[in-house]
Amino acid sequence: MRVLLGWRWGAGLLFTTAALIPLVVRDAFFLDAVILILLWGAISAAWNVASGYAGQVSLGHSAFFGLGAYSAALLSTRWQQSPWLGMLVGIAVSLAAGAVIGYLSNRLRGPYFALSTIAFSQVLLIVASRWRGFTAGSEGIPVPFRPGLWTLGLSHVAWVYLALTLAILYYFVQLYFERSRLGYRLAGVREDEDAAEALGIPSRRLKVLAVTLSAALTSVGGTLWAQYVGFVDPFYVFSVDLSVRFALHTIIGGMGTALGPYLGSILITSVETYLRATFSGVQAGLTGIYLVVYGCVLILVVRFVPEGLAGVAARLRARTARALA
Amino acid sequence: MLRLEAVTKRFGGLTAVREVTLNVNAGDLLGIIGPNGAGKTTLFNVIAGYYRPEAGRVMFDEHDITGLPPHAICQNGLTRTFQIVKPFGNLSVLDNVMIGSLTKVTSLRAARADAERVVETCGLAAYAPARARALPIGLRKRLEVARALATRPRLLLLDEVMAGLNPVELAAMVDLIRNLHAEGLTLVVIEHIMAAMMRLAHRIAVLHHGELIAEGPPAQVASDRRVIDAYLGEEFVLAQA
Repeated sequence: MRVLLGWRWGAGLLFTTAALIPLVVRDAFFLDAVILILLWGAISAAWNVASGYAGQVSLGHSAFFGLGAYSAALLSTRWQQSPWLGMLVGIAVSLAAGAVIGYLSNRLRGPYFALSTIAFSQVLLIVASRWRGFTAGSEGIPVPFRPGLWTLGLSHVAWVYLALTLAILYYFVQLYFERSRLGYRLAGVREDEDAAEALGIPSRRLKVLAVTLSAALTSVGGTLWAQYVGFVDPFYVFSVDLSVRFALHTIIGGMGTALGPYLGSILITSVETYLRATFSGVQAGLTGIYLVVYGCVLILVVRFVPEGLAGVAARLRARTARALA
Repeated sequence: MLRLEAVTKRFGGLTAVREVTLNVNAGDLLGIIGPNGAGKTTLFNVIAGYYRPEAGRVMFDEHDITGLPPHAICQNGLTRTFQIVKPFGNLSVLDNVMIGSLTKVTSLRAARADAERVVETCGLAAYAPARARALPIGLRKRLEVARALATRPRLLLLDEVMAGLNPVELAAMVDLIRNLHAEGLTLVVIEHIMAAMMRLAHRIAVLHHGELIAEGPPAQVASDRRVIDAYLGEEFVLAQA
């Protein structure tokens, strides 16, 4: 119980800090970093639902991200509809796509499932970049800025709160996966599918459920991201890099923990933002340096704290508890 | 309670189980013995829904459960354990058992209380908070039984839960199985350790090359010519005499 309380404190601290930042800081560059940390954190949390809690490790979640981004961008540019409506369309499309991918997880296990998800996202990339008449092809879609909440033309401060709302919402979705009957049974499926079946757990159905839900959550993140950044580029939104990014945040932060994706996002996104800002322009030769840092961080985490940053926090807390006892 | 009707399971050209017909009545404690590769575990896999037999039917409580998925069979009240134990390694012993409890109990609190009871019954209370993967094999076998029990089966299939145990652990496991049986659970037990089996089971079925070659009370089976030739060997008979 103390551990659970400890987690709540960690998350409470994190989200409160994020909520207070816009009151003190008005610097657009800094707020931009906060928004991206929260958005990437939330989307990584969505990835965590399928991969961390249900154990269906996907490397193709950019597929759902891209579907969310495109749904809203197309609806608002072609039919002048609100991006909120686009978000709903994105959810619907991603639920369908997620169910297909989830069904695949019944046929393919482990790395084979991960490979099939990559293939799925690449098929969508090809469709989006070639279907010029509908998606504008590889040119991408600029999303016009129309001020207002209904059109998601918001100030940086408002975006911080919108991203924060999503982050908190997804945090609680993860908590549900941690502490509900569904969560326990999925943990069984993740640990050993055959054993879970023997104990009366309908593993296939639960896996499809988790992957489908994860897809819809990711899609919402994609919609918001596209509206915030203002441009949808098929080679970015459907990229393997992006899928890897969701995985990376969560693995570094701690898979199957509710706080992990956010911790990972804080570390990676802030380091990346800093490095990009510092090494752009004059030292153009070093623009890719953040990728090198990515790699080093990942190696260090996997070598020294395979359970992720959240695991380190839990270990430290256990040690203090022992020292106090 | 459980009735196998001429069940046959083939893997390519190999017939692992050939036309096995077997009855398990409520309250039975049936042992299944046979040499390695006789088809014992395959038979369990067919009963529990992991393999679909090529021919024959599996009837449980007069319902045809042939080809049902394993989770549905468990929900009907028939649970199995695995010879090669499959603990949820990263979870605590209590959580392992609780996942079993959650099949019949929906509230987390009730499931935890239920799991605590089962853990106690199986003599695992001292290890409840330990990670399942950290347990030695003797305790992991017991966890396998505890988790299966938590699903509240009416018929429990135990696949070599005594193999690899030291004499003390073995005695504890025999006691546990006896107690469960005394409380009214119907059990089918696969085992290699003949001495334990002879003392434990009320009825023994012998499989050889996938065929049922003998069935009956332990003493009768142990003196069956075909069983001695196929499995027990002359030494066993001499030792028993």
